[in-house]
This record gives sequence, C-alpha cells and structure tokens, in this order.
Amino acid sequence: MKKTLEVLGMVCPFPLIEAKEAIKELNTGDELEVQFDCTQGTESIPRWAAEDGHEVTNYEQLGEASWTITIKKK
Amino acid sequence: MLQMALTGILCGALLGFVMQRGRFCLTGGFRDMYIAKDNRMFYALLVAIAVQAVGVFVLIGAGAFEYTVGQFPLWATIGGAFIFGIGIIFAGGCATGTWYRAGEGLIGSWIALAFYMLMAAIMKSGPLAQFTVDARTPVVGTDSIAETFGINVWFLVIPFVALVAFVVYRELRKPRVKIPSLKPKKTGLAHILFEKRWNPYVTAILIGLIATLAWPLSAASGRIFGLGITTPSANLLQFLVTGDLDIINWGVFLVLGIFFGSYFAAKMSGEFRLRTPDTKTVVRSSSGGILMGFGASLAGGCSIGNGLVMTSMMTWSGWTALTFMILGTWTASYFVFVRPSKQRAAARA
Repeated sequence: MKKTLEVLGMVCPFPLIEAKEAIKELNTGDELEVQFDCTQGTESIPRWAAEDGHEVTNYEQLGEASWTITIKKK
Repeated sequence: MLQMALTGILCGALLGFVMQRGRFCLTGGFRDMYIAKDNRMFYALLVAIAVQAVGVFVLIGAGAFEYTVGQFPLWATIGGAFIFGIGIIFAGGCATGTWYRAGEGLIGSWIALAFYMLMAAIMKSGPLAQFTVDARTPVVGTDSIAETFGINVWFLVIPFVALVAFVVYRELRKPRVKIPSLKPKKTGLAHILFEKRWNPYVTAILIGLIATLAWPLSAASGRIFGLGITTPSANLLQFLVTGDLDIINWGVFLVLGIFFGSYFAAKMSGEFRLRTPDTKTVVRSSSGGILMGFGASLAGGCSIGNGLVMTSMMTWSGWTALTFMILGTWTASYFVFVRPSKQRAAARA
C-alpha cells in the first residue's frame, strides 16, 4: 500500500511532524510519499527516516523548492 | 558611507549564504533539543561561539579595537529572552532565520519580519521606548564574567574551547547512519556550494569566522560590535519612515545583506520560490514577529546578538539570554507541537 502526504506550504517542523504521524497509521512494508516545499525538510525528513530505520526508496527534487520523498516503513 | 554599505552587505551576504546552505536554524536547533532529543545544532552554535570568542579576543588583544562591556540587566534579560524564545517558535525562525527565510521566498517570513521590525522600533523609539529603558535600568553589576571573578578573560575562553572540542569530538565518534541524499545534478564547486549537504560543524566554523570578521568591519564604521539583528532591523524601519540618514549604520546593511545572500544561495540551488502560507500560519507568524521584537528589545539582543555574540564575549547577559531563550522555545514547543500531537494520539485511541 502507498499513502501520499501533501504538506506543501507547511514550514518546518510541521512537514516532519505530519510525516511521523502518518507513518504510524501504516503497516510494515507500506510506503509513504511526502511531497513538501520546506527547504529545511530536505535535511530533517531523510535524517528522521534513516535514524528510525525506515528505507528511503525515492527522493528527488521536482522543481524550484519542491521535493518528494518515499519512505518504506520498517 | 560607501565603504560601510559595501562591507556590511558583503558580510551579511556571506552570513545569509552560509546559513541558507548550511540550514543553520537556531530555532529548529533549540526546539529539537526538546522534541527530538537532538543537540546537534546547539553544539554547532557552541562551535560558532568558540571560534568567535578566540577570534575577537585575539583581535582585541592585538589592539584592533576596544570593547567596553556594560552592566547586566538581569530581569530584563531573563524576561526578554524567554519571550523571544516563545516568539521564534511561533514565527518559525529566529530573527536571522526569518531574514534568511524571507530570502528563500517564504511570504510567512516576510510577515513575521515586518511585525518584528515594527515591534522592535516601537520598543526602541516608539511609545514603549521609556518602558524599555525603565525595564533595563535595574542592573546587578558588571556584565563581564571575567571581571566579576577578577580573572583574565582567557581563563574563560580556553576552558570553554576545550569543552566544545570535547563535545564535538564525542559527537563525531558516535556511529552514524547513512542519510539518503538527492542524486547530484551538479559537479565540482557548484555541487559543494549549491547542492551538497553541509556538515553542521563546518557551517558553524564558517559562521564563527564571519561573526569574527564582522567586528573589525563594523568597528571601521564606528559601530563597535559584531553581528546584530534587532537594532539594525528597527533602524531600517526608523530610517524608512523618517528619511533620517543618521539612523543608518553598518548593521542595517548587514541585515539587508543576509536577505540578498540567502536569496542568491536559494536561487542558485533551485530552492527559491514564493510560497504563501495558510491563514493559521499567517496569524502564528505575525504574533511570533511581535513577541520576537518585544523580547529581543527587552533582552538587548536576539539569538545572534545575545546568543552568538554576547556569549562569545563571555558576558552574563549573553549566557543568561541563551539559557532563557532556549527555555522559551521549549515552553512554546510544548504547546505548539507536543500537546497537539498527544491530543491527536488520544483522540485516535
């Protein structure tokens, strides 16, 4: 299952807080795609995913100040 | 005037560039000590303080300029710094952070900045000017920690540098997880400057060097201080509404430089876009800006003026302000992040 979380316009740390909440609802192996435009999130979201042991399956910049990251729940 | 404008803008632009690329966010750093139990950014701030302390006291020792430490207004510093700490959580960035996020195109930061400048001007030359003076009048003695104990300042600087070196060494030895990064699209210098994730300690050393450089540049214009954000931000507004050129000083160019430096860094990295916040964020940013302007004026400095500069000068006000602004961010973080999260969790259960 894949869930998409759109947190465009939210400033740090809200994208990260939303992502943390959203992943709680998922089962192991499910994916969470986060679309965000908060610059600081480019650091904090992958760091959280790595430190919590989730796998980042996709991470790319879509355009000017616009990113997407997909996290597979451990 | 021209020299002051050029050196001020250049120094500010360097700072804005480094902060934007290094993601140097003190608000986030203070907040994460509490909500994420992560002290990395706080340690990075200590590195910047240590670098500047050594740099500035070497310059003072060499006779580059003289700096006289004032008196310590204990209660104004505590109260102001605590309110400032609450304000930066609501505004989503400290005073400098708000200037550099404004350069990234965040309209919410433009609004926070406008209210911050307005409130600082109200506190410094407006209807609350007398209140600010009265609140800062009761002092408890010299602001210099070295003078209080009757010792040479290097007896503080050297142990502090050693302590910071130890903390960073211990941090760097911790096993690290590999953090996924974006696929590089640039190479060489462009990759390092406009794409790569900067190590926070490298960023902190650069900020310490810029903060040191600020002293002789500013002193050359007659303003004997280092980086400062609040008073210059108020001065900019005061100048804009009076047209009085005497109000302009090195710091005004510094804050303008931060905006341009950050804009340049963000633009070149594909991270600039005008972003409009929702109503809730606008209300939050506005109130944050007001609290920041009020608190920083009362405390005699923001997270840079007090938290980075006065700390490196080994003053009571710097370290007291830093402590209480951190407590302020934790207090606000509880109400803005921790409690709502707990309430949502309880609602689900």
